[in-house]
Amino acid sequence: MKRRVPEGFWWVLPALVVLVSLSIYPLIYSVKLSLSNPGNFSRLFSDRLFAAAGVQTIVLTAAALTVEFLLGLALAVLIDSLARGRAFFRTGLLVPMLLPPVVAAVAWRLIYNPQFGMLNGMLRQIGFNTEWLTWTSGQNSALASVILVDVWEWTPFLFLLLSAGLQAIPPEPLEAARIDGAGAWRIFRDVTLPLLKPTILLALLLRAMDLVRIFDQIFILTQGGPGTATETVSLYIYRTAFRFSNFGYAAAMSFVLLAATMLFSRGLMRVMRSR
Amino acid sequence: MKTALKYLAASIAFIVAIAPVYWLITISLKREVDQFAYPPQWAGFVVTLEHYKEAFGSSSFSAYFLNSVLLAGISTSAALLIGVPAAYGLARFEWPANWGDRIGDWILSTRMLPPIVTIVPLFLMLREARLLNSLVGLSIVYTAFNLPFVVWMMRGFFDEVPREIEEAAMLDGESRVGALLRIVLPLVKPGLAATAVFCLVVAWNEFLFALILTQTEAAMTLPVGIASRVTQYEIKWGAMSAAGVVAMLPVLVFASAAQKYLVRGLSLGAVKG
Repeated sequence: MKRRVPEGFWWVLPALVVLVSLSIYPLIYSVKLSLSNPGNFSRLFSDRLFAAAGVQTIVLTAAALTVEFLLGLALAVLIDSLARGRAFFRTGLLVPMLLPPVVAAVAWRLIYNPQFGMLNGMLRQIGFNTEWLTWTSGQNSALASVILVDVWEWTPFLFLLLSAGLQAIPPEPLEAARIDGAGAWRIFRDVTLPLLKPTILLALLLRAMDLVRIFDQIFILTQGGPGTATETVSLYIYRTAFRFSNFGYAAAMSFVLLAATMLFSRGLMRVMRSR
Repeated sequence: MKTALKYLAASIAFIVAIAPVYWLITISLKREVDQFAYPPQWAGFVVTLEHYKEAFGSSSFSAYFLNSVLLAGISTSAALLIGVPAAYGLARFEWPANWGDRIGDWILSTRMLPPIVTIVPLFLMLREARLLNSLVGLSIVYTAFNLPFVVWMMRGFFDEVPREIEEAAMLDGESRVGALLRIVLPLVKPGLAATAVFCLVVAWNEFLFALILTQTEAAMTLPVGIASRVTQYEIKWGAMSAAGVVAMLPVLVFASAAQKYLVRGLSLGAVKG
């Protein structure tokens, strides 16, 4: 039997050529680059800056994800329960996520600045002593301040997806539970949440994948500082490659990030398949 | 009472979401003496357009702006031109043994590569090809970046069009390409427009690739231009805020135009919005 190339193949071919040459070939190039010096991979295990960047990335991802999820869910339920003005509130709440990340970060520099920022100005107005509130320039407060900006910027994303998920829940099971005399909290916990679970998983995975690679906002807000207090893996790779021109080691580090991303994306594909 | 509390909570969330953006706009419109006045001035200050004049007149922000417009336009057109046929091919033809789905999954998975992973080799490749600091180089990278998204979105839209429609047209003598152009594409026009808007916004907002691939003044995009000012020691807050406001306006306009498809686009089609 002769094997024929499926007709659709010719339609897909140009896209495959572009993606192989600009996604797959760079990866192969990167493998070669990282192997050019065999010390690159062993260095990963003894590099304390890399370990610190890893820990900071994990802390930031875990904290931001938790807060954004809880807030996003609460907001989705809240706005969904309003009788009027839903579209108005929804539109406003989505603004932070749509801004160019660089612009959002610039706005927050204007807010956080310890001397003339809007935040300390407002706190002083209501009688707080703001001398010790240094936000992004404080060794201990910098990471939390960066997380706060991410929460502001990306809670809308969780809110948007969870709202859509809530609206897609058919009314019948909720009706049935209500007729059986279940209270609001029990209905939410035993009916709504289980039905929302696939959307929750999907939203968390998409967000987590974005958080582990976070770069833009931190680059503008702190450049990874003070010292290396807010340096994430992406920023450390950037510094290694483009400040110290150590491309091989940067490539080696990027595979750790790639592995983490693949873990999330496999989960994501599974969730998407099951829908 | 309970209703009042709900509206109070929603209003607080609304204000928190909007306030930083509002603050940025006020800084861009205030005279320098008022910008960092204590207590912070939310309204009633003297409005001036001097920072906009400075940013887009004497400073180079108008050049960055033009670069960003060209980049977004070129890379979006290219991604659609390559991605729409691919999506159609995956949605409409018989593929042996699930190959259609496998290729689709693979294409989507390239979208999930973290930019920092591909940027190091891409920087070296473009340097060898002498395409650093050029619109061409960055356009190619953005096209590849948006392509998986176009394929994934458009495939979903094509799936929603019944095959019978174009089969009937082809029986009437239309070619396959003619049926796609004259029958199917007009049917998925809203989806096509939404996909284009998403690509435009992604290219417009993108920072990391542009930061590394455009390091000369002449090639910088708007986000990179803004960032290059922020990290200097003496910062012209007024001009920078003005540039920031101009950078965010098109995105907000576009996003409200594509609001109906926002959920689908942001969830890569996994939640049908």
